[in-house]
Amino acid sequence: MRKLLYFSVIMLLVFSMTVPVAAVVVPYESYNYDYWEDMVFTPAPYIPARNISGATVGAGSFSRPNDLAIGPNGRVYVADTGNNRIVILNPEMTETVGIIETFDNDGTLDRFNEPFGLTVSPENLLYIADTMNERIVVLKDRDDDLSDDDFNMELVKIVRDPQSEMFDSNFAFVPMKLTVDFAGRIYVVPRGSVEGIMVFDPNGDFTGYVGTINVQISPWQIFWRSISTRAQLDRGFLIIPTEFTGVDIDPDGFVYATNIDPVGEKAVRRLNPTGEDVIRTGENQNLGGDLVNDDMGLYGGPSVIVDVVYRERGIYSLLDSKRGRIFTYDHEGNLLYIFGGRGSQVGTFRQPVAIEYLGGCIAVLDATYNEIITFDVTLYGSLINEAVGLRYDGDESQAVEKWHEVLVLNGNLELANVGIGKAYLTAGDNVNAMKYLELGKNRTFYSIAYQRYRNEILKENMPYIFTGIVVIIAALVVFMYMRKGKEKGDS
Amino acid sequence: MTKYFSKDCLYYFRRVMTNPIDSFYEIRYRDYGSVPIALICVAIFGLTFTINRIFAHFVVNDVNPLTVNGLTEMRVVFLMFFLFCVGNWSITCLMNGEGRLKDIMTVVGYSLVPLIVILIPVTLISHVIAAGEEVFYYFAIAIGIGWSAILVLLGIMTVHNYSLAKTLITLFLTFVSMFILIFIALLMYSLINQLYVFLYSVYTELVFRF
Repeated sequence: MRKLLYFSVIMLLVFSMTVPVAAVVVPYESYNYDYWEDMVFTPAPYIPARNISGATVGAGSFSRPNDLAIGPNGRVYVADTGNNRIVILNPEMTETVGIIETFDNDGTLDRFNEPFGLTVSPENLLYIADTMNERIVVLKDRDDDLSDDDFNMELVKIVRDPQSEMFDSNFAFVPMKLTVDFAGRIYVVPRGSVEGIMVFDPNGDFTGYVGTINVQISPWQIFWRSISTRAQLDRGFLIIPTEFTGVDIDPDGFVYATNIDPVGEKAVRRLNPTGEDVIRTGENQNLGGDLVNDDMGLYGGPSVIVDVVYRERGIYSLLDSKRGRIFTYDHEGNLLYIFGGRGSQVGTFRQPVAIEYLGGCIAVLDATYNEIITFDVTLYGSLINEAVGLRYDGDESQAVEKWHEVLVLNGNLELANVGIGKAYLTAGDNVNAMKYLELGKNRTFYSIAYQRYRNEILKENMPYIFTGIVVIIAALVVFMYMRKGKEKGDS
Repeated sequence: MTKYFSKDCLYYFRRVMTNPIDSFYEIRYRDYGSVPIALICVAIFGLTFTINRIFAHFVVNDVNPLTVNGLTEMRVVFLMFFLFCVGNWSITCLMNGEGRLKDIMTVVGYSLVPLIVILIPVTLISHVIAAGEEVFYYFAIAIGIGWSAILVLLGIMTVHNYSLAKTLITLFLTFVSMFILIFIALLMYSLINQLYVFLYSVYTELVFRF
């Protein structure tokens, strides 16, 4: 009894010292889904850090800002849509280093009209989706010196009026979000386009659509359409594919694009340079944000994914504007953690529109609060990030140490158990692999471990098994002979 | 007591599984078998069903074992059993069935024996199979379910002295009547609840007044 008391006191002390995040009250729930798709609460992977409004950085209030971008030098670019300007912040987001309201267009002073999206290429070119002017403006810093603070922006080119026989007569080019790859190809999410993402070559010529989403019709809809009259069909809604909402690009040139999936199964795509979707899904085949969405009303239904950010080493995060959640996946499509929420406390959102990642911290832009909300990683979050990153690099044995540390903080995390189990499997320790893979509820890899274990046992005991079979057959033969002899003797 | 639990009744299982038509005939017309033993069969089925749901290995088990409550499972099994028997009895009464409620219960209870027998070994088997070998598990379960279903069909057919077609029709109607029974039960529950609330409010009114 006394031992137990000591033990519990020690454990209490140990845990109260090593888990500082438990003491921080976060204004949202952090959770993940287990094998049975039940919600399991977890320690907070990220905690709110700062709220940055236009006033605190000395740029005057933002008005309906709609996009964030990080430059190669770490500077933060905000598309301040309502004020028709681009605001540039220093990497720490403490002060404004520049505001672009006008630029020199062939000798005339030109302005933006509601720029909804922007991105910065690795060559430090600034691409702006000048939405209401129906064009994309590409600017660059004239003196090309990244360290100074004077912004002498020079026009590089303007992309407008794309030409193609694919467009019908009343086609309007309304760019919303965009990203650019290392070769200078521009990927644009246009408003109201169901064909997919528009691709422009480095000269600004339209080359085609990529990532077209296929329409999904349920058998129920087919049934109703088959019994509807022509007039009813004309008045009913059209079944058209959903639009893309946000794009990002990874250093290898793969485009991550989000869309609003009405069934909550696949809200993000990873398009290779030929436009094929090559994203990987986890065990539950789901990339749609929340799995449980039985709630009714404003907060019910599948997640509305509005933006994606590729972070590093295969990890990407999705932003949900319906419940204000941030979903983080690894390169295998496993959900790592979920956090964030809507509300009016510091660290919650009202209308999140864009997400970015800068140096270990997640920044979310809110178009109603007109603020950038940043989140700092906790011990729990950083351990998961590192473990997943190590696995991405192929360094499983080092990842195992991190997974063990994660398990101390959250013993329920199936991902950690699977990570450890897979490492044991590679090392050839089938018994331990079985133990952890069963805890992690991974049928496929558990079965591999189990089959190896079973074969091992069979191989070791093969002599005994065969001897046993021979002995039994011999015994049966002898028994039958004796019985025959007995019957003969009886008769 | 001895009448219900005689040796004959216990050994009767074997006869039910091998010679179903003959033995069901004897249940109806020679008073073989007994209701208490049938109820025990249902209880044991509830038990093995729970065991299978909890202890079947996760390679084949989609149920979260922590959410399984043995008593709830037992209650559901018994509820379905009684619903089926009462539903079948009320339909066959109207359709010239010769079986009594006692016969229906005995037949259905005894028919569950193949499932009872198969569920425990199948649960054990599930611990020595890997993904890709689930076929053995599901095939064994399918055999158990199929055997029990055939026994129930033959039993209902025999005790009521029906043709196969008529049995199938009555089985369909039985399921309809089960739904009606549930509906009436819910209706009764809500009506009685309203009556209770009304009387309780009258009572509180009186108490506050005097």
